[in-house]
Amino acid sequence: MWRHPLALLALVSVAAPILIHILVQRRAERFAFPTLRFIAPTRLAAIRRHLLEDAALLAVRIAILIVAIVALAGPLIVTAARRRAWNQQVVRAVVTDAAALVVAELAPPGTAPPVGAELAPPETISPGLRVHAEKAFDATTLTDGIRRGLTWLDTAPPGRRQLVIRSSFPIGSLTDSDIAAIPPGVGIVFERRGTLPLTRTVTVGTVLTAAGSRSQSVTLEGARTLVKDSSAAPNAEWPIEISSPPADRPALDAAVAAVRAERVWAPSADRRARLVIVDRADSMLPALPAAGAIQQPWMAEAIFRIARDPDLQAAAVNAAAGSNDPRLASAPWQTLAIAADGRPLILATASSAQLVVVSAAGAKELITPLLMRTVANAIAQPADLQQAEVTPIPERVLHAWSRDAGPAEPPRIDTIVDDDRRWFWLTALVLLAIETWMRRSRTSSAIQAEEHSRVA
Amino acid sequence: MSVAPDVCPPQVLARIADLELVARIVVEGLVSGLHRSPFHGYSAEFSQYRHYRQGDDLKHVDWKLVARTDRIYTKQYRETTNMPASIVLDSSASMSFPAAPSSRDDRPPSKFRYGVIAAAALAQLISAQGDAVGLLAGGRYIASRAGRPHLRGVLAALAGVQPGGSWSGAETVRRAAERLSGRGLLLVISDFYDDEDRMFEELRRAARRGHEVVLFQLLSREEIDLPYRQDLEFTDLETGRSLAVNAGLARRDYKDGMSAFLERWHSRAGSEGFQYSLVITDTPPALALRNFLLARGTS
Repeated sequence: MWRHPLALLALVSVAAPILIHILVQRRAERFAFPTLRFIAPTRLAAIRRHLLEDAALLAVRIAILIVAIVALAGPLIVTAARRRAWNQQVVRAVVTDAAALVVAELAPPGTAPPVGAELAPPETISPGLRVHAEKAFDATTLTDGIRRGLTWLDTAPPGRRQLVIRSSFPIGSLTDSDIAAIPPGVGIVFERRGTLPLTRTVTVGTVLTAAGSRSQSVTLEGARTLVKDSSAAPNAEWPIEISSPPADRPALDAAVAAVRAERVWAPSADRRARLVIVDRADSMLPALPAAGAIQQPWMAEAIFRIARDPDLQAAAVNAAAGSNDPRLASAPWQTLAIAADGRPLILATASSAQLVVVSAAGAKELITPLLMRTVANAIAQPADLQQAEVTPIPERVLHAWSRDAGPAEPPRIDTIVDDDRRWFWLTALVLLAIETWMRRSRTSSAIQAEEHSRVA
Repeated sequence: MSVAPDVCPPQVLARIADLELVARIVVEGLVSGLHRSPFHGYSAEFSQYRHYRQGDDLKHVDWKLVARTDRIYTKQYRETTNMPASIVLDSSASMSFPAAPSSRDDRPPSKFRYGVIAAAALAQLISAQGDAVGLLAGGRYIASRAGRPHLRGVLAALAGVQPGGSWSGAETVRRAAERLSGRGLLLVISDFYDDEDRMFEELRRAARRGHEVVLFQLLSREEIDLPYRQDLEFTDLETGRSLAVNAGLARRDYKDGMSAFLERWHSRAGSEGFQYSLVITDTPPALALRNFLLARGTS
């Protein structure tokens, strides 16, 4: 495993000392001398012996280069001992569902025996293991917390990886798909914290009906859900302003009445939309409100919801033709639905304080009331009943989802603080010392050997 | 090596192009330590007294003896002639070792350059005493004659000789001995890496002719000590043959061989009655020649 594997390309430089040795060894300096009569030819044997010694020197020099290059590459040798050490330590991400805990803690006193409170926190790590690194993540949803925790585990130091999830675990806070997204080697531990009330009543919002506006509340009581309508104190206004040719007005009024009869959510007073109906047959293009970039989050969220509405999308493909108005062909207009001819049928953008939706469908077509219903529901913000859930995920389900952390996998090299490069540098230094010693002692030892042989 | 203050070191001499000047410097340093002429003077030498006869030159009458004895005696002299000398200089390629040093370093000159300086100094010394001197070097032969103009010719010839190729020492000695008229002085300057037996045969033949043989064996310090340690491919300067060895390991055997070689030359030359001097090129030429002449004076 290498921290900088590209550094290994420098291994080609090993050829340098080999070439130097070959060139240097084969070229003894020429030296003009008066006579060779006293120079014994047998001295050539000494030179051959030197060549052998130099082969050892060459080997040491090559080894120095190789070791230095390997050190530069930042090696990590995954030995059995190292793997054992990794397997004895646990790195864990602790994900805390802050929203569910808050809801649980705010439950009215005396309404509960707390559901699930009798469950003791499980042992998070097995005996013999120790926590090497830990990081806490507070999240508004467990899905988001799990994602963040897994991202951190991916870059955490080596060890058994574990995800500890702390929540009161209301139903819906965690699903099978959330668990499936967790890699199999990551252990999962659930710690139930806080308690859920036995019953909870939530005011969901205001509903627009044919008879006026009504306030709607929901009471969650164990497995039962009670929905209660009551007349709203202020009568909520229809939130969509409609621009159309005058001939279409009766049909559009009928469509609004139909939508109200179906009941739609009433948005707050600061969320308004404008629906512009464009007649495809009319050669005179209608005036469009000034379009600007979408900057308010509720508008972006509403556009997202409109585009994802299945009924609207199903009806759009039945529309024969879309708009050919060139003013709608570019930003900031967003296409939300496409007609059968491939041209945009419904588009949206923002004006100063309104969400502007343009439809090329006729006022009498079915898609028009569908669009009105979708827009009205999209700009409203009914209470999220998930946050008010009082039924916990059963213990057996959590138990089935729980699992031990798998063996430590070879870590990403960038997560290793102490790799093995220091040992290679040390080896290079030792080899350098050996090389220096060999170089300095080569000639003197050869002369001494010669002296000894002469004495003998 | 300590050098007398009046002696010029060889590396300085080697840088002086004017050979006559070099020879003068060497000779001046040389004679300052000698009390008498190293080479015997050859002129009229007193032999005996005899009674005066009519017609004898009065300048040969020994007047002091007349005053003591009241008898007239005249001095009788034995006539002598100048002794010719011939200098033989080895100009083989082996003499060009070590390679010519650059002008900045202080290494001694090559053996050949040293030999040229020594030969020039000897010629200057001999000529200054009125004797005849000749030269045989690098294929150039100059017969022995006396006089300064002739000396300049010898020095010019010496300056023009370049080392190279091989050298047949025995043949050169034979030629020099044959051309030296009468009884002469044969000075041979060489490293003597030639065939020893043939060389000694010719030297003996020259001695039988009545010549006095003087041998200067000229070597560099490197040739004696082989002060190298690394792997070297030695190339013979004369034959071009090469041999790759580790010099450090080869040194012991080399020095043994060299010592035996020098000892052999010293003992054989002594037994033949030749005057032999081993000269190493890091010795100032004046000092080397002075030692030679002092040894000559005591022999």
